[in-house]
Amino acid sequence: MAAARVDYFYSFRSPYSYLSAPRGFALADDFEIDLHFRGVLPMMMRGESVPVAKRLHTMRDVKREADRLGMPFGRIHDPLGDGATRCLAVSEYAIDQGREREFVLAAGLGIWGEATDPASDEGLRRICEAAGLDWEACKAALSDPQIAARVEANTNELVEIGHWGVPVFLFEGEQFWGQDRIDDLALVLSDAGLARR
Amino acid sequence: MSKFRDRAEREIGPRVIVAASTVTAPARAAAAARRAAGRSGRLELYFGFDDPASAFAVIDLARRLEGRKVIFDLFPVVVRGIKDDPALERKRIYGVTDGRRLARRIGLTLSRSEPIEPQQTAFLAGWVAGAPRGAALTRFCVAACSRLWFESDGPIDEGRYEELWRECFGSAPVADEAAVRANEKQMTRRGPYETPAASIGGRWFFAQDRSAQIADWLDELGWTVK
Repeated sequence: MAAARVDYFYSFRSPYSYLSAPRGFALADDFEIDLHFRGVLPMMMRGESVPVAKRLHTMRDVKREADRLGMPFGRIHDPLGDGATRCLAVSEYAIDQGREREFVLAAGLGIWGEATDPASDEGLRRICEAAGLDWEACKAALSDPQIAARVEANTNELVEIGHWGVPVFLFEGEQFWGQDRIDDLALVLSDAGLARR
Repeated sequence: MSKFRDRAEREIGPRVIVAASTVTAPARAAAAARRAAGRSGRLELYFGFDDPASAFAVIDLARRLEGRKVIFDLFPVVVRGIKDDPALERKRIYGVTDGRRLARRIGLTLSRSEPIEPQQTAFLAGWVAGAPRGAALTRFCVAACSRLWFESDGPIDEGRYEELWRECFGSAPVADEAAVRANEKQMTRRGPYETPAASIGGRWFFAQDRSAQIADWLDELGWTVK
């Protein structure tokens, strides 16, 4: 029998996505699920506005949550633009290699904890190599139109399911928005009898 | 864009904001000064009666403040949110689904399956905004939020809430629309863009999601449970 599917919509420009990643990917360790990573374009690149008050509050709130979760946060390089799209392209390549977890965790740490600029070859290469990916292959993925189409499809699907932000987990049509709803999803997965024994 | 400006926006600005947010000495000193003067701490909550996350926050925070010398300052609002937010309606619908999860955390069950229109509960905001702060007002807000979201479904009967008000205050409620508008303006001026938003000692929190952080911060400020 096929494992239950959980879709995980993620933006490399979202610090809440970054906070969600270790626990999001760990769901597949704890439950009989196929976790499908779905990288999407940042809100601001999807034509949605983010007010200054929201941006300021987000930085402060994420710092407190990161401290609580024991995750580095503060040495930031905002990847809006090329940095985000390059990470998205490589993440699709990483999926093909079965290393999306490693790549997403390395990219998140680089962007939000080490001020690594993924728009530069030097920065992105460091992230790719930390994730155990071949740099030349990653570079080729950056200009692969099929990979770009996959990212576009992910972004469109987030809109189609009627959601606006990330991270979002989707399980049997039910959406769980936010890094602070992972425990709620875990409860639902448990109730569905999917906990690994 | 110049290289320096680009770096300032992507790295220096966010880093400064994050670093500044970790400075706690002024807030701790201010809290100590209040205690030395015999005054209480203050937790401000901006909330909407039409919002299930706000109902959760009112009930949860009222419980968490028990035993602490902290005034629960309740500011009801009706109009709020990101200006021209294209996702407003979807957020209201999702809010009900999410409210069900929040309720489960405090052992309650959401009794509604549809969102409430903000204007349907505007009368409650008007009563509360103009009333004196204190235990009776907290009692009313907790009871009204419980009844709205965890004990009833369908149309909202203003008369039943008036009875509740009389039980808490011993008199009839008085609507104060101007006070609601003042709360909304104050909320916008001070930064939060969505409800429920809690402020303690100069820090803002998403009140429905940061209960543990709020309790830790109150402890750090010295407003501990006695």
